[in-house]
Amino acid sequence: MKNTYIPFQMKVKKIYTESPDRTLKTFDLSYINEEDKFDFLPGQFCEFSILGKGESPFGIASSPTEEDILKFTVNRTGSVTNEIHYLQEGDIVGIRGPLGNWYPVEKFKGQDVVIIGGGFAFTTLRSLLVYMLEHRKDYGKITVIYGARNSDLFIYKDEIEEWEKRDDLTLHLTIDNPVKGWNKLTGFVPTVVKEVSLDPTSWCVVCGPPIMIKYTLPVLTEIGFPDEKIYTSLERRMKCGIGKCGRCNIGSKYVCIDGPVFSYEEIKKIPEAL
Amino acid sequence: MIKIKKSEFNKFIENLQKNYSVFAPVTDGKATAFKKIKSSDDINNKVLNTKRSPKEIFFPQSEVLFQYTEKGMEVPKREEKPFAIWGMRNCDTKSLLLLDKVFGEAHQMPKKDMYKDPYWKEKYDNCLVFNLACNEPLSTCFCNWFDGGPFDKTGSDIFVVETDDSFIFEAVSDKGKKFLTDCKTTENESDKEIKKIEKLKETAESFLAEKEDISSLFSKTKEIWDEPIWDEIAAKCVNCGACTFVCPTCHCFDVSDEGKGNKGKRIRLWDSCMFAIFTKEASGHNPRSQSTQRVRQRVMHKYNYFMDNYDEHLCTGCGRCVVVCPTNLDIREVIKKILNYKNEE
Amino acid sequence: MIQNLRTEVKKLLKDKKVDIVLGWEKGSLPLSSSPLFIHKEEDVDRLIFDETCRNNLTTYLTKDKRKLGKTYDKIGIVVKGCDARSIVLYVVEQQIKRENVIIIGVPCNGVLEKKKILQKTENKEILESKIDGNNIHLKGRDFDLKFPLKDVLCDSCLTCRYPDAPVHNIFIGKPRKEVDIKDEFKNVIDFEKKSSEERWEYTKDEYARCIRCYACRNVCPACYCNECFVDQNDPQWIGKTPEVTDSIIFHLIRNLHVAGRCVDCGACVSACPVDLDLRIMNKKVEKEVKERFDYTAGLDIDEKPAMVSYCENEKQDFIMG
Ligand SMILES: Cc1cc2nc3c(=O)[nH]c(=O)nc-3n(C[C@H](O)[C@H](O)[C@H](O)COP(=O)(O)OP(=O)(O)OC[C@H]3O[C@@H](n4cnc5c(N)ncnc54)[C@H](O)[C@@H]3O)c2cc1C
Ligand code: SF4
Ligand code: SF4
Ligand code: SF4
Ligand code: SF4
Ligand code: SF4
Ligand code: FES
Repeated sequence: MKNTYIPFQMKVKKIYTESPDRTLKTFDLSYINEEDKFDFLPGQFCEFSILGKGESPFGIASSPTEEDILKFTVNRTGSVTNEIHYLQEGDIVGIRGPLGNWYPVEKFKGQDVVIIGGGFAFTTLRSLLVYMLEHRKDYGKITVIYGARNSDLFIYKDEIEEWEKRDDLTLHLTIDNPVKGWNKLTGFVPTVVKEVSLDPTSWCVVCGPPIMIKYTLPVLTEIGFPDEKIYTSLERRMKCGIGKCGRCNIGSKYVCIDGPVFSYEEIKKIPEAL
Repeated sequence: MIKIKKSEFNKFIENLQKNYSVFAPVTDGKATAFKKIKSSDDINNKVLNTKRSPKEIFFPQSEVLFQYTEKGMEVPKREEKPFAIWGMRNCDTKSLLLLDKVFGEAHQMPKKDMYKDPYWKEKYDNCLVFNLACNEPLSTCFCNWFDGGPFDKTGSDIFVVETDDSFIFEAVSDKGKKFLTDCKTTENESDKEIKKIEKLKETAESFLAEKEDISSLFSKTKEIWDEPIWDEIAAKCVNCGACTFVCPTCHCFDVSDEGKGNKGKRIRLWDSCMFAIFTKEASGHNPRSQSTQRVRQRVMHKYNYFMDNYDEHLCTGCGRCVVVCPTNLDIREVIKKILNYKNEE
Repeated sequence: MIQNLRTEVKKLLKDKKVDIVLGWEKGSLPLSSSPLFIHKEEDVDRLIFDETCRNNLTTYLTKDKRKLGKTYDKIGIVVKGCDARSIVLYVVEQQIKRENVIIIGVPCNGVLEKKKILQKTENKEILESKIDGNNIHLKGRDFDLKFPLKDVLCDSCLTCRYPDAPVHNIFIGKPRKEVDIKDEFKNVIDFEKKSSEERWEYTKDEYARCIRCYACRNVCPACYCNECFVDQNDPQWIGKTPEVTDSIIFHLIRNLHVAGRCVDCGACVSACPVDLDLRIMNKKVEKEVKERFDYTAGLDIDEKPAMVSYCENEKQDFIMG
């Protein structure tokens, strides 16, 4: 039996600094042993280990189609994330995963999909978007709404530029307040969701800071999206990632194994989810 | 059924020690706990509920998950012999079944192996559990609420009754049967012994307080989740972790690294939902920042959430939390309060 | 006495002088009491005060319970001498405003120590109990014991100098006045006479039992930090394991944090589920503070908190030496 608590080792292949204030960095990790490679789907996460400091969960930002790497974008906020930010290319880190469930990409097949993201929580949404673009024929219309406090705080800026050029994808970028030189949308995500016209027969995936999720979901209901077609990803403090350490529950649901992806329908049944 | 005279008890334990590491209730300083014994003299068969629960044999308060060096990670070697646990009570043997649900699989089945806790499994799957009947239940025992009882055998391999002059053994599981067969002691099914046991059982059950009907506890807890009753229940709790640390079914833990440079270890430590930092996120946000929310978590987890996931209550009625709570927040009274609570509508 | 207490409390609630009163009610276990939060007059009849009223209720005024202080403008609280001294501490340390609490003093003859009782009954369960005058009568399945009450009072009570609330708004019954205690630090002096090996052995064995449940800290009126040093993880000050070295460090730092602030209420001692001898170190520190600064915590409400910078600057040779 494989010991589920022991991370396998990966090498830091490339580091991107995502924001000028250096609080956001993206790490491409490459496998050291072929046999560690695992199958996963967009929405799942891993426990990222820095031995001596601890483990933290991060959503997988790479798509399953990017076979040789795992990508994580890390916001520097505490002890482990600090240490992750000190990593250099070539360093070895520990990974446990894939953990949790995923966005129901099987259900999305042949249908329109709306992706709504905020700030650095765009990670698993990137995974989803890249995955769907790789299998473009399988899906209908793809619309993306992505908001950030200011334009510096968008992650994957180079890729956003590429996506903007595509004609098989509608991309709305918004920042909280108007600034000179910004010629795209302004306003908070929930407001923008109301403004751009969305087709409520689409599937919808929302991921962002808790407050954004909280205010966006009701707007989607207002537009006419049924609860069971809205998905979001929740966050709770975690340790084990496998339903044992007991801290990540919301009611009887454990975010690490029953989630992190939940439909709005499920969320409405668990008090305190939002 | 096998009978061992009390005068032969020492020899029995000695034999057991040949193949097993034997754990039993001992008085450790001023407190009682299950410890690995050197000889049968260490055993305290009189103590009913040890202060610390026997869960720590399988799930110690602190356990090294692995050590690491520049060469890699390594799980510390465990001692070779399997465990035999002498003198567990029904509320504790039942708790092992509950913990095995959490550590053995988690309620998510598809990727089985990933959800198996190897540290728990290795110890639990190879152990032999002797369940000693409770001849004199305490006033804090309420195992009968959860369909357990002083002479209930659930969760054990071998059920033992202490009579005036002997210990009487009965195999419960296959493992237990095999052990007793291998013992090569002659079987003796005497009516006299059976009568004795019946009598002891009757007396023991008469010591228990009246059984509370908790069949509606699950639906009731769900119903009142949002009611102000929780403030009333939680008011006196000081959020120490005492109730959860002595509880045989609480399984929460923290993971923490200790080390310098390339060398160190990752350990897990008991943790408790009663502590404020248990759920505090890096951003400072804490979904259970209020004491009331944490008390509700404990009660709901035991009598509702666990039921939702595993169809059992995460409580065996051992009464340990009742005894240790420094504010006398008595879980039995909480249950009664919930059951009797009338919603406003 | 109890009738007078209830009448006073009812009056306070009726006249809206207080929004809530903290007291004790009968507990669910033999010889136990439990904290009672009284909002309504009809609950006053549950209020008791006797030898079982062990908890120091002032702890609810701070800590997580700081919300009590925020939710209510006026809090009534029934206090023993040691409890009242904790309130003095809060006022001096500006945790609460004196005018926000109505302190109701009751005459305390000492409270029971469950652990001593269990020693008497050899850990057998008590099914019936009665206190009459200076004696206590206990019955269990196979024992029937009668002995002087003082055999099973808390150690803190046996050496308590100030059984009456030094500061109060109301006092029910007859105050006992200051008690002349000669051997207040006897446990410490005896301990100091031991060899350092013996002291280490004792300390080690005691702290080895600690399960780090933090009941001692959480019931302690002097421990009210929003985030305790043991809970900080960046940097992580001390190990969180129940290993004896980690536990000793936790307790030593806690001792230093409550130095000159501990009122010897004994709340920690009786809260500890594994019966650690926490008092010996508390008293040791108290003795040092008294000898070096001639200071006793919680007596004078106008005193400046002289101990605030104490533990950082002073020589700490008394810890182990
Ligand atoms: C499913 C999931 C996906 C996530 N994806 C991302 C992501 O893609 N990018 C990103 O920057 N952040 C993500 N987070 C949040 C991230 O895990 C925390 O910010 C991080 O654990 C903080 O660790 P720290 O050691 O720096 O903070 P500290 O405050 O020092 O926390 C100590 C430990 O507590 C736990 N912890 C604290 N806060 C959280 C939290 N919010 N969530 C989970 N565990 C926590 C971790 O084990 C952490 O190591 C995700 C969280 C979850 C649950
Ligand atoms: S909750 Fe209390 S009574 Fe129930 S199993 Fe845990 S310690 Fe025993
Ligand atoms: S009651 Fe609390 S500590 Fe116990 S298992 Fe449940 S969440 Fe964990
Ligand atoms: S032991 Fe009592 S006071 Fe401590 S956390 Fe449990 S219920 Fe609260
Ligand atoms: S350390 Fe113990 S005796 Fe001193 S004030 Fe705190 S709880 Fe009371
Ligand atoms: S109450 Fe006792 S066991 Fe708990 S932390 Fe304090 S000393 Fe340790
Ligand atoms: S992270 Fe441990 S149970 Fe979910």
